[in-house]
Amino acid sequence: MSTQETYKTKVKELLSSGKVKMVIGYKAGTTADRRRPHFMRTPEEVDQLVLDSACITNLSGYLLSEGLLSDGKEIAVFLKPDGIRSINILAAEAQLQSNQVVVLGFDINGSEISALQGERASDFQALTSSSNEARLHKQQHPESARLEQMTPAERFAYWEDAFSRCIKCYACRQACPMCYCRRCIVDNNQPQWVNTSSHTLGNFEWNIVRAFHLAGRCVECGNCGRACPVNIPLGLLNMKMTDEVLQSFNHYPGVSETQEPVLASFKKNDSETFIL
Amino acid sequence: MAKIGVFVCHCGENIAGKIDCKQLTAAMEQHPGVAVAFDYKYFCADPGQESVKKAIRDNNLTGVVMAACSPRMHEATFRKACAEAGLNPYLCEIANIREQCSWVHTDGEQATQKAVEITRSMVEKVKLNNNLQPIEVPVTRKALVIGGGIAGIQAALDIANAGREVVLVEREASLGGHMSQLSETFPTLDCSQCIMTPRMVEAAQHPKIKVLTYAEVESVDGYIGNFKVKVRMKSRFVDMHTCTGCGDCIIKCPIKKIPSEFDCAIGKRTAIYTPFAQAVPNTPVIDKANCTYFKTGKCKICAKICELNAINFDMQDEIIDFEIGAIVVATGFQVQDNSVYGEYGYGKYKDVINGLQFERFASASGPTAGKILRPSDGKEPETVVFIQCAGSRDAAKGVRYCSKICCMYTAKHAMLYAHKVHTGKAHIFYMDIRAAGKGYDEFTRRGIEEDETSYLRGRVSKVWEENGKLMVRGVDTLLGKPVVIAADMVVLATAMVPQPDAKDFAKVIGIGYDEYGFYNEAHLKLRPVESSTAGIFLAGACQSPKDIPDSVSQASAAASKVLALFSKEKLEREPVVATNNEATCAGCWGCVLACPYNAIDRKDIVDRSGKLIKRVASVNPGLCQGCGTCVTFCRSHSLDLAGFTEKQIFAEVMGL
Repeated sequence: MSTQETYKTKVKELLSSGKVKMVIGYKAGTTADRRRPHFMRTPEEVDQLVLDSACITNLSGYLLSEGLLSDGKEIAVFLKPDGIRSINILAAEAQLQSNQVVVLGFDINGSEISALQGERASDFQALTSSSNEARLHKQQHPESARLEQMTPAERFAYWEDAFSRCIKCYACRQACPMCYCRRCIVDNNQPQWVNTSSHTLGNFEWNIVRAFHLAGRCVECGNCGRACPVNIPLGLLNMKMTDEVLQSFNHYPGVSETQEPVLASFKKNDSETFIL
Repeated sequence: MAKIGVFVCHCGENIAGKIDCKQLTAAMEQHPGVAVAFDYKYFCADPGQESVKKAIRDNNLTGVVMAACSPRMHEATFRKACAEAGLNPYLCEIANIREQCSWVHTDGEQATQKAVEITRSMVEKVKLNNNLQPIEVPVTRKALVIGGGIAGIQAALDIANAGREVVLVEREASLGGHMSQLSETFPTLDCSQCIMTPRMVEAAQHPKIKVLTYAEVESVDGYIGNFKVKVRMKSRFVDMHTCTGCGDCIIKCPIKKIPSEFDCAIGKRTAIYTPFAQAVPNTPVIDKANCTYFKTGKCKICAKICELNAINFDMQDEIIDFEIGAIVVATGFQVQDNSVYGEYGYGKYKDVINGLQFERFASASGPTAGKILRPSDGKEPETVVFIQCAGSRDAAKGVRYCSKICCMYTAKHAMLYAHKVHTGKAHIFYMDIRAAGKGYDEFTRRGIEEDETSYLRGRVSKVWEENGKLMVRGVDTLLGKPVVIAADMVVLATAMVPQPDAKDFAKVIGIGYDEYGFYNEAHLKLRPVESSTAGIFLAGACQSPKDIPDSVSQASAAASKVLALFSKEKLEREPVVATNNEATCAGCWGCVLACPYNAIDRKDIVDRSGKLIKRVASVNPGLCQGCGTCVTFCRSHSLDLAGFTEKQIFAEVMGL
């Protein structure tokens, strides 16, 4: 039986037994290579479930829909390793309790998918740790390497050009599982720190603030970049922030839910290159 | 409707010499919301303050901007004046047009333009200022003194004699510090222990002082008036209450050849020991690393010999909590490791010693009972060479600063040597003789004139051994020629350096330190005994190299600061504290972790039936120090700082 079929059986079981009140997965999207989220509350809805190599969206953010978890009932969600790390971070930041989330883990290798064993996010500790190890030794992205070679002026011009396309639709924010604030700073107009109109300064402000708010929290799932209607390479910014946090604090986000948020915690051996 | 008064101060020529104050005043008069603006020569003077008060009353002002010097100078003055005129003092802001403008610019026209912008920006801010009321916090009138050397003991005694309780923490097994290791003290040559030990005893017996030896401060939380301190009592393995200090265990301990720390490795000690004979308290400790029982599980001779059963090998470290109002840090210094000077042969030749080791030789309580003897063969040296600045004033290998005490103690060493070995000859290589202090220059002159100390102005390039002598090659720059002296002993006037763990400890208690690890004072000239953290004071050589009189003076000064703090039951604090917007708080608890003062708690918001709606952060204004760390951390900008709200800062920036 294929992984998809195995999981269909499992999801039906989860729903019919009443263990979970909802399963969040994928179903067919508008085109052949796109998937959309599928929220299953009854076993009948499971027939539409699709699980294949096109299921790349990190679904963990949907768990934080207003009131969804407040009744204390469990919810199952299909997650790749990056999504499992998101659960750990969200638990560390008190946005959910990991024992309320049943992880239906899977991984994509080329066009193949495979199931990951485990029920709670904490069951995947070995996986998240090895992902940490792999990230440490990961070859730098060629575009990232190209940017590093540039002079500051060239790099500024590169981002000025990229951000000039930004229309402030905030799709990147809506797609990101880490952007859970009920009121985002850009929605606050007393004072209006980030200009709403779409000019260079305001665009810089928004995109850089977003990148900073994700430093040490981003799992590099790519939701933001895929959501961007004007193709700003947001992933590159996040990648750079991840590199910086790894180098400076040896912190890889989402290894476990006991990890302290790196920018909120202070350790005696933190590097203090800018403080005397 | 805002009615702001803008008052432009000339500060004599300090501001008016560069900035066109009339033009600035005129510009402010035109600014929306400004009801009155005028300039004056010195607003900090009484007539100036009176004119501000009158303007507030006459115009019913809702805010005041003083375009003057730094708020660090006169913010308090002007806020007080405003309060006297019936305006909430926090409705007064300072536009700094002196330090940040007139003093740092050359072009008057541009400086005036900048002054207009700075002042305008503060006018915009003050329009959004709110009435704030000072916060009162209780003061725990109990002091913690860290370090039981002369500085710590002096501070503890001064505070205790004024009737306040003191906890005195010393990490070694006995009080005393470095002063108890010294022989005689300059410039009077009185015996160090003879003047030190009475103080040690006085501190130990004082009803207001709780002395904790063999103890270390583990953590310090809280803030001025309300510190929470954890002290680790290291296990001595000897019960302090039953032990009488008879010393039988020390005599019988079979491990006798451990280099004594107190004697700078010249003397030896046992595994169960007191650092020195006059130790206070006189209860020994067991050195776990060297004790046969702890290494092999057998021995326990000390336990068998002790008639009172005071030895307890199962003793564990104990953590004691204290509520403390003020802290005096007197953690002292160490001597620099001289082995960095390979050319002087320290560590290579037995007869090359450092100044502190010489003190132990010269001390009547030392391992040689006060005889100056060569460590190699135990003979009296006929010629001794002293090398000053062995580490100090040397940017290449040592430290850049002057250790301050070496000129004096080297002069004293040469003098003591002359008194003990009448036929001996002492030579001192020096860079400068720095003998500033009461009776100090007279002391060095006495060494030269009465005790025939030979001073050679120059540096030593090499020390080597030849035919049982230490050959010292140096230069006499006054004669302009090289000299070689055959010596029996070489004494290095080693630099004074901070304790090796000084920087780590600074982080534990939350104070600043310099590049070397000496603790930073709040202001080098005007606040030399305060650290930059309110309620933590400094005494002795942990702040900078100091001799005994300086350490004692600073300790008494620190004590007076503590007593001033303890003179009131309550402390008035600035109402600059964080507030949280519970409607927008996402409850991520980043602020709870980020807060250095543990001032933020989790708060449940429940509906009428008690059902949890959401969890949010809640700031305790009594604990909050207004540092703003949480505000900068908060991603949803739910946290804000009273007196420096986002709206105010934004208005300030937009006013530029």
